[in-house]
Amino acid sequence: MAEVVARAGVPGPRGRLLEMIVVGAAAALIIIFSVAVDGFATAGNLGVMLSNSASLVILSCGMAVVIISRGLDLSLIAAMIAGATTFSTLIAAGVPAPVALLVTIAVMIAIGLANAWLIAYVEIPALLATLASAMFITGLFRFAILRGEYLLLLPKSNPAVVFLSGELMPGVPTPVVLMLVTVAASWILMRYSTAGRTIQAMGDNFQAARLTGLPVRTTTIVVYVFAALTALLAGLVMSAASGTVDFRTVTNGTLLFDVILVVVLGGIPLRGGHGGIRNIVIGIALIAVLRNGMTLMNVTTQMQDVIKGLVLLTAIVADKYFNPRDAETDTIGDL
Amino acid sequence: MSADPIIRLEKVAKSYGGINALEEADFELFPGEIHALAGENGAGKSTLCKLIAGVIAPTAGAVWIDGRQVTLSAPKDASRLGISMVYQETSLVPQLTVAQNMVLGRERMFNSVRKVRNAARQVLQRLNFKVDPSQLAGSLSTAKRQMVEIARAVLNEARVIILDEPTAALTPEETDHLFDLMKSLQRSGVAMIFISHALEEALNHADRISVLRNGRLTVTGPARDFDRNRLISSMIGSELKQDTSAAKAVRAVHSALPVLRVENIRMGSMVNNMSFSVFPGQVTGIAGLIGSGRSEVAKVIMGHTKRNFGGGRIWFEGREVRYNVPAQAIADGIAYVSEDRKFDGFFETMSIADNIGLGWLAKFGRRRRLAPLSRMRQISQDWEKRLSIRCTDVDQLVLHLSGGNQQKVVIAKSLAQEPKLVIFDEPTRGVDVGAIAEIRQIVRNFAESGAGVILISSYLPEILDLSDRILVAKSGTIVAEFARNEATAERILHAAIH
Repeated sequence: MAEVVARAGVPGPRGRLLEMIVVGAAAALIIIFSVAVDGFATAGNLGVMLSNSASLVILSCGMAVVIISRGLDLSLIAAMIAGATTFSTLIAAGVPAPVALLVTIAVMIAIGLANAWLIAYVEIPALLATLASAMFITGLFRFAILRGEYLLLLPKSNPAVVFLSGELMPGVPTPVVLMLVTVAASWILMRYSTAGRTIQAMGDNFQAARLTGLPVRTTTIVVYVFAALTALLAGLVMSAASGTVDFRTVTNGTLLFDVILVVVLGGIPLRGGHGGIRNIVIGIALIAVLRNGMTLMNVTTQMQDVIKGLVLLTAIVADKYFNPRDAETDTIGDL
Repeated sequence: MSADPIIRLEKVAKSYGGINALEEADFELFPGEIHALAGENGAGKSTLCKLIAGVIAPTAGAVWIDGRQVTLSAPKDASRLGISMVYQETSLVPQLTVAQNMVLGRERMFNSVRKVRNAARQVLQRLNFKVDPSQLAGSLSTAKRQMVEIARAVLNEARVIILDEPTAALTPEETDHLFDLMKSLQRSGVAMIFISHALEEALNHADRISVLRNGRLTVTGPARDFDRNRLISSMIGSELKQDTSAAKAVRAVHSALPVLRVENIRMGSMVNNMSFSVFPGQVTGIAGLIGSGRSEVAKVIMGHTKRNFGGGRIWFEGREVRYNVPAQAIADGIAYVSEDRKFDGFFETMSIADNIGLGWLAKFGRRRRLAPLSRMRQISQDWEKRLSIRCTDVDQLVLHLSGGNQQKVVIAKSLAQEPKLVIFDEPTRGVDVGAIAEIRQIVRNFAESGAGVILISSYLPEILDLSDRILVAKSGTIVAEFARNEATAERILHAAIH
């Protein structure tokens, strides 16, 4: 019995192997791009890479927390757009930025609560609940605020927009600082808070977490509200940088796939339980380098999508290979 | 009975990861014979049937069919040789019609709906089954689904039909009908094996009976050589015949007030007006067969599953309670140690420290925002010593421990919550022999510390050894109660079966 159990799919050293492969792949890409691509290995490009990745990293932190709890948030990008729309509409109407921010945060908490309520209390699978809420949110905001348009222009001169797209200190862009703050906050949440431990436990074995008496419903609320708040932050950073809120980000879907790509590539399996914020850093390293290098090489976005698809597929196959589900352990109790 | 057996098993054994489900069984089945298999839960009856039906492959021994040695590696091998199995959980596809189910797996490339239906109707009529072949299988009652499965076996010209607890879900009339049918199949030369917990069925309807105990086929003989008592004593083994518990006095005195009282709990079809009380300082054992509603009532008490609307009342420490989620029960001081630790017991990606620590943390509910990691570790180390969990240190993953030590971690996770009542559901299932005694001692010690203990176990010696009071559950109701000194294996088994 002991031997059988020990042979089962163990997230031990072999699980770490996937992380090491991704780190190795990122390192290899850095070396290749440095040699082959002009202007890759410069301080300026590093800054561009970090700034461009900021919103993706922030979103991935939110998604990682959701996925570790064995959930999925397909409404993340819709929530991001909703947050950015609310905030920009308010400041365009002359509402002071702090008030606008508070109102927007309230909207995001409402979105997170709605998702969590559907999942934890109505007990709808996270995939369906968040898919429905994503469609609802997108439709509602386009109808109510944009009157059917898909683009919202930000007041570029507004101090809030200037702050978000500018630099906090000379050479330190605000998005990068916000990104680091989000990573640190997520790390503390997952590592040191009771909710973080419960999230890990829920992803590992939901029934056991429930029977142990962990507050699984409250924690589900924490998870989806946290995800919605990261979505808000990412939305502010992204729209301030581009000067627009673009609803096509939701409808063409690639950003959502990028986020899931980062999470899975970092070594967090979609069934939850495993991994932490470290995995996000690993996943983002590969994707950011790949994206930046390919753009510098003038690879078309269509071709970039093809390559990202292949990378994701490779990661999933590798994950299946390194973290196998042992059929024998599933049937062992069946005497 | 003709001289040549249709099936002969020679020293057939099956083990799962070192645990023997069946050891060196010799078994013969003759054409036109009705053969009953008797034994307690986990004695190896289902394993034996699955081996014959080709569902599982033996780890040792030989299978002979019609005098030729065969290897049955899949159910279709067995079905080609004319062996069909009717499962306890019926294996019909609910979305297909009765006729489609009956030809399932034997369709030709092109099927005429009408021809298939006619063939099915012919068989159903011949067997005198009142089932419409064009009805969806999902809309049939359990009894009718079973009939369809038997009809399928007949349509497939089965020479051997294996029935796994065919009468478990049937009414007395349906049971009579089933045995009439078996008799008529017998006359046409079909051999049948059936598993039954109702001993009278085996005694009255079988030609021969085989008894299994702890994975061994202990005795086979003509049904007329058996009577109730001989059957029961061969099921539970002679070593248990002398009453071991008579000498022991009830260790704990009844406290005036029960720590837990449940009244008329009803939940679906599993729990049916269950009522009992649990007193502090005692182990209250609940014996019964699998499916008698014991785990289900435990989960209702915990708030893990919902009882029926208006389905009974629960008092804990004199206060009426109704938990919506287990967290509330835990906060009040009730803990449940799961019967299937891998399914809902421990967190496999986590260390011993995290598992026990999370149990301790859960008691505080939402009051602690930050997890005190060093305190959690310290508490786990304390419990590791108290329950002598064998591990390198508390940072070891629970998955890497042996079954017994995993179980100790699951128990420690609950005991760290300082509960006033613990429900132990099959605490020694899948546990290595050495740890069984230790875990039983943990259960006893916990009760002697003054807390209430409910022990659910299908293993009678465990119930007899540990319990101060023994309740017997049957079909979702408590049917008998024994004090420690009046309980015997025979009396419990008698109550559990009738």
